[in-house]
Amino acid sequence: MIEVKDLQKSYGELLAVKGVSFTARKGSVFGLLGPNGAGKSTVISCICGLLKPTAGTVTVNGFDIVGEAKKAKRSLGVVPQELAIYEDFSARDNLAYWGAAYGLKGRELKSRVAYVLERIGLQDRAGELPKNYSGGLKRRLNFGCGLVHEPEILLLDEPTVGVDPQSRERLFNLVKEERDKGTCVLYTTHYMEEAENLCDELAIIDHGKIIAAGTLKDLRAQVGESDIIQLSGTFDPIAVEAAILGLAIDSEILVLSAGTLVLAIEEAAAQLPAVLQAVSSTEAEIRETRLSEPNLESLFLKLTGSELRA
Amino acid sequence: MHFLWASIRKELKRRFNDPWALFMWLAIPATFGLLMSTVMGGGGPRIRALLLVSDLDDSFISQTLPAAFSGGQLADMVEVREIGEIEGKALMEEGGASAHLVIPEGFGDDYLNRRPVDISLSVNPAQRISPRLVRDVLESFLDLGNYLHLVLGDELKAITALDDADDLLSEVTALISADISRKITKVGPFLFPPKIEIVDRTPVPEGRPVSDLLLMFPGVLIMAVFFAGNGMASNYWTEREKGTLGRWLVSPNHMGIFWAGQFVSAMLLLGLVALPILIGGFFYVGIPFEMLIPSLLWLMLAGPLLFAFLMLVQVSAATSNSADVIATLLMFPLLMVGGSFFPTEAMPEWLAPVADFTPNGRILEPLKQYFIGTFGASGLLEALAPVLAATIVLIVLAWLVVRRRLTN
Ligand SMILES: Nc1ncnc2c1ncn2[C@@H]1O[C@H](COP(=O)(O)OP(=O)(O)OP(=O)(O)O)[C@@H](O)[C@H]1O
Ligand SMILES: [Mg+2]
Repeated sequence: MIEVKDLQKSYGELLAVKGVSFTARKGSVFGLLGPNGAGKSTVISCICGLLKPTAGTVTVNGFDIVGEAKKAKRSLGVVPQELAIYEDFSARDNLAYWGAAYGLKGRELKSRVAYVLERIGLQDRAGELPKNYSGGLKRRLNFGCGLVHEPEILLLDEPTVGVDPQSRERLFNLVKEERDKGTCVLYTTHYMEEAENLCDELAIIDHGKIIAAGTLKDLRAQVGESDIIQLSGTFDPIAVEAAILGLAIDSEILVLSAGTLVLAIEEAAAQLPAVLQAVSSTEAEIRETRLSEPNLESLFLKLTGSELRA
Repeated sequence: MHFLWASIRKELKRRFNDPWALFMWLAIPATFGLLMSTVMGGGGPRIRALLLVSDLDDSFISQTLPAAFSGGQLADMVEVREIGEIEGKALMEEGGASAHLVIPEGFGDDYLNRRPVDISLSVNPAQRISPRLVRDVLESFLDLGNYLHLVLGDELKAITALDDADDLLSEVTALISADISRKITKVGPFLFPPKIEIVDRTPVPEGRPVSDLLLMFPGVLIMAVFFAGNGMASNYWTEREKGTLGRWLVSPNHMGIFWAGQFVSAMLLLGLVALPILIGGFFYVGIPFEMLIPSLLWLMLAGPLLFAFLMLVQVSAATSNSADVIATLLMFPLLMVGGSFFPTEAMPEWLAPVADFTPNGRILEPLKQYFIGTFGASGLLEALAPVLAATIVLIVLAWLVVRRRLTN
């Protein structure tokens, strides 16, 4: 279990994490979803003891990460966003080394290494030096190094970036398997599909703050039943706003700028022609129309007025 | 403990996965050494001692003393100049010579009649090897003289009784010499079996003749240790940039294990790099092989000082590039001043003492003295304590810098 309370972290002048609190539980995947620069990695670094929190506390399995670092660290497995493997040391050696770092040895270590190699699909190339691997293979090894010692708590910082869809599926299965074994998983990503697919609980983080949190169901409820209509083109915001309000339908303008209009609207498919007509009547130029069901993306849009994937 | 061992194994294995780098640490200094020895063999700078002799006795016996320096390699290295006592003293005071030997009046007579013999030798403290050389040669020569006296007292008296008539002298000397050698071979084994052997030897100093090669060789070794130490210290940035140091920091292990692992693997790798150069050099220079193990141990135990020094440089730099630049900028002048490119004996007087203030000089000098024979392995042991202490201080400093920089 991870408990983060009022966590703040500043890099010099920049306050990158501004009071974040959440609890990640045993046997579940907690997702930290946010765009680039939101502060996800900073939170992870504070949890694993790599960075000292500026304020607030982090407890891991009941141990304070600052005061009882050694005990807290023992139960952690970390897969950092940046690769952290020895490139001049074979995959098998890497896994064995990081296993040894957590006290594994002998037959137990050997069998864990073999198991992880098989699970990350590297058993055939286990003897090669990672410097000859593709980026995706290195990622898989990086992933394996974090869980070779069967940690009770797994911190995964965007583990699927740069991994092909097949390998990604494999990693997802691994994460789910770990969760089912009772591992507490903290998973950061900026792919909302990943978060939806994988996470039991979620926190959406932006500019160092959690802007929404809860189970997937809770968050969906926050978006409401509204679908999303997203138009890009050239708009006169004042005229467009008037035209939309003039439609007298149950809609909410989420974003309106000279280039983008985002509307939350029920039964969007049925309402789309009317919306398009109203906008066109302002002599706007519409270049692209997108219609989507309520999802985390739309929640993020709704909460921040900007897209998750910038 | 298990993980410390795993960490050491990891470092070694990683090095062996890149055998070329390992080979280069060894090849560059070895090539340099070979090149230098070729250049020097072709009449490059040599060590020359200037020995001033003021022979106030001017007897046959006293004249044999400077002759001690006329044989073999010594003749190349020691120039003997006859000089008046006053002029000699003056020249010594100016630092213009390595040593000044004053043979008092009556020396020959005293010697022949086995009265206590007294000669005075003053040496130039600013020079290191040359005066030592002179003293050693003289000492062993005088020792030799004592044995000679025991066996050949009569012949010596006969020679001194002769007049200065040059032609006659050389003829008679030749005759008597033949007689001497016959006498030694015949009588020697019965009279003084163990001692005759010494008489029979050509009068060279005990220990090794101090050749240019011998003086160069430790410098080559230290260069290899410096290069290898630098390679291993730059591993800090590899660990940092490849994220493995971060993984280390989030593991529940004490950072002491990391540093101990770095230190021990550096020690082993330095030994590994030094050993082939040692073996090759011992053959080439002609150093007795019983000195191999102490030399190797010295390089393995004292060598990590260079690693620790470079490690502190690496961890203090802002980026891996600046670390490399600073390390290189430091390493070459240090190698030069510390006596790796040319021995301190060949340096200008004002520069030679600076070597003592360089970490590499601190490792080089004792090893050289050991090779020359100034002291035995116990001398190395004595020199080791401060080197080890400095190593530990530097490693702890590096550790503190890393801790301050990486977890804030
Ligand atoms: N070492 C650092 N020094 C200074 N500023 C930093 C440092 N690391 C991160 N930041 C800043 O802190 C903020 C949060 O960065 P962080 O890496 O935690 O974001 P992130 O959510 O992980 O982003 P990404 O999805 O790109 O990985 C950013 O504004 C970033 O520029
Ligand atoms: Mg990140």
